[in-house]
Amino acid sequence: MMYSFIKPLKELAKGLYIVLKNGFKSDVTLMYPEKKKILNDNFRGKIKYNKEKCIKCRLCQKVCPSKGTITIDKEFIIDFSQCIFCANCVENCPKGALQITKEYELASKNKKDLIFKEEIN
Amino acid sequence: MNEALINTMQINIGPQHPSTHGVLRLKVDLRGETIVNIEPIIGYLHRGMEKKAETGNYLQYLPVVDRVDYLSGFFCSYAYINAVETLINVEIPLKAKYIRTMTMEMNRITSHLLWLGCYLLDLGATSPLFYTFIEREKLLNIFEDLTGARMMYNYYTFGGVKRDIPVSMLKNIKTFTEEFPKAVKEYEDLIANNPIFITRTQRTGILTKENALQYSITGANLRASGINKDLRKDSPYLVYKNLDFNVPVSQNSDSYARFTVRMEEMKESNKIIKQCADFLLSDEKDSEINTKINPVSIKPNGSVLSQVESTRGLIECYVEADGTNIPFRVKWRTPSFYAVQILNTIAKNQLLPDLMAVFGSLDIIMPEVDR
Repeated sequence: MMYSFIKPLKELAKGLYIVLKNGFKSDVTLMYPEKKKILNDNFRGKIKYNKEKCIKCRLCQKVCPSKGTITIDKEFIIDFSQCIFCANCVENCPKGALQITKEYELASKNKKDLIFKEEIN
Repeated sequence: MNEALINTMQINIGPQHPSTHGVLRLKVDLRGETIVNIEPIIGYLHRGMEKKAETGNYLQYLPVVDRVDYLSGFFCSYAYINAVETLINVEIPLKAKYIRTMTMEMNRITSHLLWLGCYLLDLGATSPLFYTFIEREKLLNIFEDLTGARMMYNYYTFGGVKRDIPVSMLKNIKTFTEEFPKAVKEYEDLIANNPIFITRTQRTGILTKENALQYSITGANLRASGINKDLRKDSPYLVYKNLDFNVPVSQNSDSYARFTVRMEEMKESNKIIKQCADFLLSDEKDSEINTKINPVSIKPNGSVLSQVESTRGLIECYVEADGTNIPFRVKWRTPSFYAVQILNTIAKNQLLPDLMAVFGSLDIIMPEVDR
């Protein structure tokens, strides 16, 4: 009878001790705006377009899951408000005209800032 | 007699409720504080995943598949890719098979860790969430370096995987597997014998064998009801035949049993990861990671059903192809959809404060329910 009363208290104390012990461990988080994480080269951020390499084959349009993101007419347009950053276009570009960058802070007050445009000859 | 005990009162839990992990609405009939009836109303997170498949080619649908279950994207990815690979008769290299197995098991651990933290948060314990996220963060960092994203991986491709795992990363993974059992032991010390946790979970939400089979419950929920069914053992896919692991089963069939089964599953996954990493470290010569095929011009014919034992249970992906480069039909069978329906059976005649303790133990995730 006595033991059944003490055991739960012991377990509670054990839990509290673990919580206390963890309080003295070193930090695992980063203070974000001041310190930033070092990203790997594989990181899928904003997509960079190279006008010289593009041959207008439109394969990037064919593999894009989010339709209407890439438009190729007189100018090359990527709408980053619709892009899901899957990098299908980058992997399938035959000439390497599209590249992934490590840029990920794309928040903006104006939606038009998210639309990338470049004229093609 | 008190009027509240004679008449029933209907209240809504959700759609915006912190414990439903998404947008689920529960219409609950109460008599006093006892639950008389629960009606789950789903569909708030419906994104048309199945219809979306019919609007683009096979490659265009691939990144979308990760979003079916965003906590364990590799499983859905594998189910879809395996279906398409079966249709076009492609055999993937052994190294790719090991990489797929390893990443999927790592994904199982990340998903279970998030479940553990959030479940305890629902029950009022705040600290475990931070401790589980420390370990989860280590795995997510590995995923980020390997695939380029933390949750939406898009890493598997038709015929294999997109990138090779560098040796340094494999060593990181091995270090993780050596440290992880200590972390699991810490969670168990912290929570498994805690009197408050035991009172709230033991003998609540009892899911009997008969009910579990009638409602097609799969995964850890089924195994916690004493039925030893696991696709990894029953019909091994990938390289599970060569690996040494156990399937944890519990006979108690209450919320606590589901907790113990998931904790044991994490340890078993850890063992599998270790074996896969050992193989990949020893296998230096075989550098083939994918069979080269053009993913844009895939034109299969026929229909196939692909299965995978995911974190929450059995995921099935049915693909019907008609010889064009656009799928004719893609159908998903997701385990959480079935787990939501059982809620009325197992939480009936219990107290309202116990509802979230029961609901959380089922490990339901809403994007998977609605697709």
